[in-house]
Amino acid sequence: MDLSLETRHADGHTIIEVGGEIDVYTAPKLRDKITELVSNGEYHLVIDMEKVDFLDSTGLGVLVGGLKKVRAHDGSMRLICNQERLLKIFRITGLAKVFAIHSSQADALAEH
Amino acid sequence: MAFGAATAISVAIARDPALVRTVRLVAAAVARRTGQDEEFVEEIRLAVGEACALMVGADTLEPQEQTGPVTVKMALGDRLKVDVVSEGHVRVADEPLSDIDGVEPWALLRGLIEDFAIAQEGSTTRLSMSWPLV
Repeated sequence: MDLSLETRHADGHTIIEVGGEIDVYTAPKLRDKITELVSNGEYHLVIDMEKVDFLDSTGLGVLVGGLKKVRAHDGSMRLICNQERLLKIFRITGLAKVFAIHSSQADALAEH
Repeated sequence: MAFGAATAISVAIARDPALVRTVRLVAAAVARRTGQDEEFVEEIRLAVGEACALMVGADTLEPQEQTGPVTVKMALGDRLKVDVVSEGHVRVADEPLSDIDGVEPWALLRGLIEDFAIAQEGSTTRLSMSWPLV
C-alpha cells in the first residue's frame, strides 16, 4: 500500500488525510506536502492518521520536522489517531507528550 | 502450532527504501505462522521494518559504506529470532547529531523490544532481536 494524501480546509485549519504506510520510502512525500503547505502560509495543520496502516521512525521524524516548521510561524500541528498500534509508537518514543493527539476531527478542530 | 529448530527464512534486499515494505510483508507472514495474536504480528512487522529502514537509511551508515545488501534472517524455535545484517559499519549509538528530525534512530527499537542487541562484526553490522513464543 502506497501513501495517499488528501488536503482540505476547515475552521481555519488545513487537514491532511493520510492513508497507507508512512515509512522510509514514503515519508519524504508527506514531508514535501507539509513543506509545500507551510511555504504557502498554511501554519495550522491537522494530520488525520485514521487510515494510516504503518508508521516507523522516519515517519515520526517527518511529523516532528513538520511541528518545528509550523511552530516557527506560531502555528500548530494536531494529530488525529485512534489506533492503539500507532499510539503505542508515540508513547514508546516519548512523542505522545510532544503532539496534541485527538480522537476525531471534531475534537481536533474544537481545541483552540 | 509447533516448529522445528530448522524452520528459517532468509531475505536479502538491495539498499533501496522501496524494498523495506517487502521485508515487512515477509516478517508479518512468518510471525503469523507462530499462531500468536495480531498484536504480536504487528510488533514483528514494526520491529523488522524499523530495523531494515535504519540499516538501509543513509543516516546511520558511514558514507563510504553505503553499498551491499541488507539480509534478514528469521528462525522459529522456542523463540522467534530475527537477525538483520548489513554490509558496512552502521553507527550503533544514538548521537545527538544523528537524530531524524528529533527522533533518535534506535529509540523505537530499544523501547519496543526486550531482547535487542546491535554489534559490529568484521565488515558487517548485526542487529539481533528475539521474542518468546508461548
